[in-house]
Amino acid sequence: MSKQEKPVPADIGVDESGEVDYDEIEALLGDLVLDREEHINAEGFVIRPDEVQEALFRLRDEAEFDHLSLVTSQQYEDRFESIYHLKKYKDPTQEVSVVVPTTTDNPVSQSAEPVYRTAEWHEREAYDLMGIEYEGHPDLRRILLPETWQGHPLRNEYDQDRPQIVSLTEHANPLQDDHRGNEEQSDTMFLNIGPHHPATHGVLHLKTVLDGEQVADVEPDIGYLHRCEEQMCEQGTYRHQIMPYPDRWDYISAGLLNEWAYARAAEDLADLDVPEYAQIIRTMGAEMCRIASHMLALATFALDINGDFTATFMYAIQDRERVQNLLEDLTGQRLMFNYFRLGGVAWDLPEPREEFFEKTRDFLDDLPESVAEYHNLLTNNEVLQARTIDTGVLNHDVAKQYGATGPVARGSGVDYDIRRDDPYGYYDELDWDVVTEDGCDNFSRLLVRMQEVEESAKIIDQCVDLLEDWPEEDRTIQSNVPRTLKPDADTEIYRSVEGAKGELGIYIRADGTDKPGRFKIRSPCFSNLQPLPEMSEGGYIADLVATLGSLDIVLGEVDR
Amino acid sequence: MISGPLQTEVPLMPDQLAELLGLDALGIAGDFVGALIAAALIATIMMLNAALAGPWAKRKITAAFTDRIAVNRVGPFGLFIIIADSVRLLSKELIIPEGADRPAYDVGPLLVVLSALGGFAVIPLGSLGPLNFQLADPEIGLVYVFAVASIASLGLVMCGYASDNKYSMLGGLRAVAQNLAYEIPLIVTAMSVVIFAGTLQLSEIVAAQQETLVTVAGVAIPTWFAFVNPFAFVLFLTANLAEVGRNPFDTPEAPTEIVAGYQTEYSSVYFVLIYLGEFLHIFLGGAIIAVVFLGGASGPVLPGLLWMIIKMWAVFLFTQWARSAIPRVRIDQLIEIGWKGLLVLSFANLILTAVIVGVLTV
Repeated sequence: MSKQEKPVPADIGVDESGEVDYDEIEALLGDLVLDREEHINAEGFVIRPDEVQEALFRLRDEAEFDHLSLVTSQQYEDRFESIYHLKKYKDPTQEVSVVVPTTTDNPVSQSAEPVYRTAEWHEREAYDLMGIEYEGHPDLRRILLPETWQGHPLRNEYDQDRPQIVSLTEHANPLQDDHRGNEEQSDTMFLNIGPHHPATHGVLHLKTVLDGEQVADVEPDIGYLHRCEEQMCEQGTYRHQIMPYPDRWDYISAGLLNEWAYARAAEDLADLDVPEYAQIIRTMGAEMCRIASHMLALATFALDINGDFTATFMYAIQDRERVQNLLEDLTGQRLMFNYFRLGGVAWDLPEPREEFFEKTRDFLDDLPESVAEYHNLLTNNEVLQARTIDTGVLNHDVAKQYGATGPVARGSGVDYDIRRDDPYGYYDELDWDVVTEDGCDNFSRLLVRMQEVEESAKIIDQCVDLLEDWPEEDRTIQSNVPRTLKPDADTEIYRSVEGAKGELGIYIRADGTDKPGRFKIRSPCFSNLQPLPEMSEGGYIADLVATLGSLDIVLGEVDR
Repeated sequence: MISGPLQTEVPLMPDQLAELLGLDALGIAGDFVGALIAAALIATIMMLNAALAGPWAKRKITAAFTDRIAVNRVGPFGLFIIIADSVRLLSKELIIPEGADRPAYDVGPLLVVLSALGGFAVIPLGSLGPLNFQLADPEIGLVYVFAVASIASLGLVMCGYASDNKYSMLGGLRAVAQNLAYEIPLIVTAMSVVIFAGTLQLSEIVAAQQETLVTVAGVAIPTWFAFVNPFAFVLFLTANLAEVGRNPFDTPEAPTEIVAGYQTEYSSVYFVLIYLGEFLHIFLGGAIIAVVFLGGASGPVLPGLLWMIIKMWAVFLFTQWARSAIPRVRIDQLIEIGWKGLLVLSFANLILTAVIVGVLTV
């Protein structure tokens, strides 16, 4: 069993064994419950659209469901539905879904924003793509598509074949509402940071209002890299056609971690087993990806703080290169791995195995020295400390409100890691620690990533030991999986894994065919980016850039 | 050109050239032509240095710091990249923003380059063979150098506001704030050396550093002011980093924050001018440090001019090292370090030096 198990105190809605007691939850919600639904991960309570806030407040305040992981919107023949997937930060295996149906002709439902601030962006997305309106939402605008887009593309009646060309002039003018207050007297300056800017790590657009060098207001504008990933997954078959897509979400070498998110959801949906041997390979590969991803985060953070001729960047890229070589040996690819299969992995370790193990060991042996050097160059440097300590502060409670996960949450002292708290793969058999820091600032997030690299190395080391001694006749890399997977209609599942950036979750609703009826991605970067205004307003523009770097977002995953 | 009465026995370069080329007969016109040739010669040497440093040496040095190889395909050690880069940069389209405020937009880059070149007019660059590479040697040489070099700030502000770009504007403002905050400590620190040397004339300052301070194990340590007053030397080096805008003080450019600061909108030839200006300023900073703290052009075996260039390159190497290793400070921290730290320290250094020199001379 997990060696890092946290004690779970019994409270409302939880029985002695630590399982959610859904009858007690129903009693808590009382008259608000219209119906109960069975999802694979948790039960769902159907709530009237005008009582959403009441239900969520009760679940948050009395049953401690403090983590709104995802908001899914979907359309049925007779209704629209918003599903709020709730979890607990202290134990994410305790889940509950709040299902809010609305009529097709008047899809209006109460906003969850007053309860969970992270709902603001999630509901904007639901409005943008599905056209559900949320009453009481502070700022219900499109988020991924241009503001002049016609129609809501995920609706059944939407004409997929009609192209829409949105020119820059048609797009809402980004220079409008330049200044706050009276135009004449205002002494602030509006500045577009991005979509093309050295520090935005992709195509992110920050609408910034500056007061001198200080940030008076900043609003992230996302969607430049929206590639309809969810819809593309809905058009692929479970068995083979979806797996290549996850590589393209967080495309910065976190491919295997993303693939695992889909694999875990689909395997639980179709009730597939994964051989132990394959789980170890998966665990090892995933942690290699985590190291590669954190190395890049470290490298680019050094760029943001040091400027573009820093040695740290190249050093970290060199270490990342070694991990990439290992991953190339393992999967045959350097970026878009497509290595996981439902029920296992594509192929066994490369031959000769000894050479692969030796290469991996060499890398692990050299890693402590590299990490020590990064500490020397970065964290021990007084200038860097002056730049990062107490800047970009994301407080513990605010982080939870925004649904922050991964190193961002752990840098704010939120002890939350899906690998330990909701174990999958081989993690609960291995000896490793979850790293948290209480500084809540840019420095803490940097420290967390650097220490996580070492923890990942520990995991890889143990996996290599296991794989080396694994009996040859027992090396099954895939279980028997039917050629065509057709999960029963209306089975629903939401499963997440610990991606490089945080909790990467997949919601799938099966519709009885070999393709998903609804496929929804919970992107950790999407939620982690949302508190950026909170973290950087009032600070300096240099700290805005540093904070953005410390969040380590990938726009491919934010925009999907 | 300011020219003071000569106090050194070695004649200055313009006079030497006039004599050498037989221009004496032409009178003032001859002096003028001699000065012109001499100025062109020194400017060419400096620009050659910048050309070597910009496209090639900087790449090689940064690569060495960051474990890379850098240019090695074009010519021996990749040296021909200098030619390739020149052609590339000069053949680029010159894009001038619609809202640019001309002629300020055009004058800005020129000022940056000319102020740096102007500074070299009084630097005693040492001798090569019979030639003494110094254009003029006014009594107020040190003041002149700082005054001319700081005209660059004006150029940067012009670049910043005339580009009609918000990032340029921010960069321009940062450049002024930074130069104001660091020029005063720079000059005050230099003044402490003037107290030692008792003169503002650069050739005299160099001459004051030629004696032997101590002899350690048979090696004579000269009275370079870097050895006499290492504290002032460190202060000056630090302030100089800010003056030339290199890490940890490269906030006016700060590529990851404000794209490229004042030079964001400059392309083609104008970009080359700004870039050239930056390198010339680094070398001018190196030359000032060499003259004021490192004994000027003095050194064994090699001719003086070479020693001077070696010392300038050493300072250049130092700025590149800082650039590769040290994080950038934020603008408010930068101003704070300048006004609250360096200024106080430099005045402390000045007063202390004054007291010590006063006691020693009484």
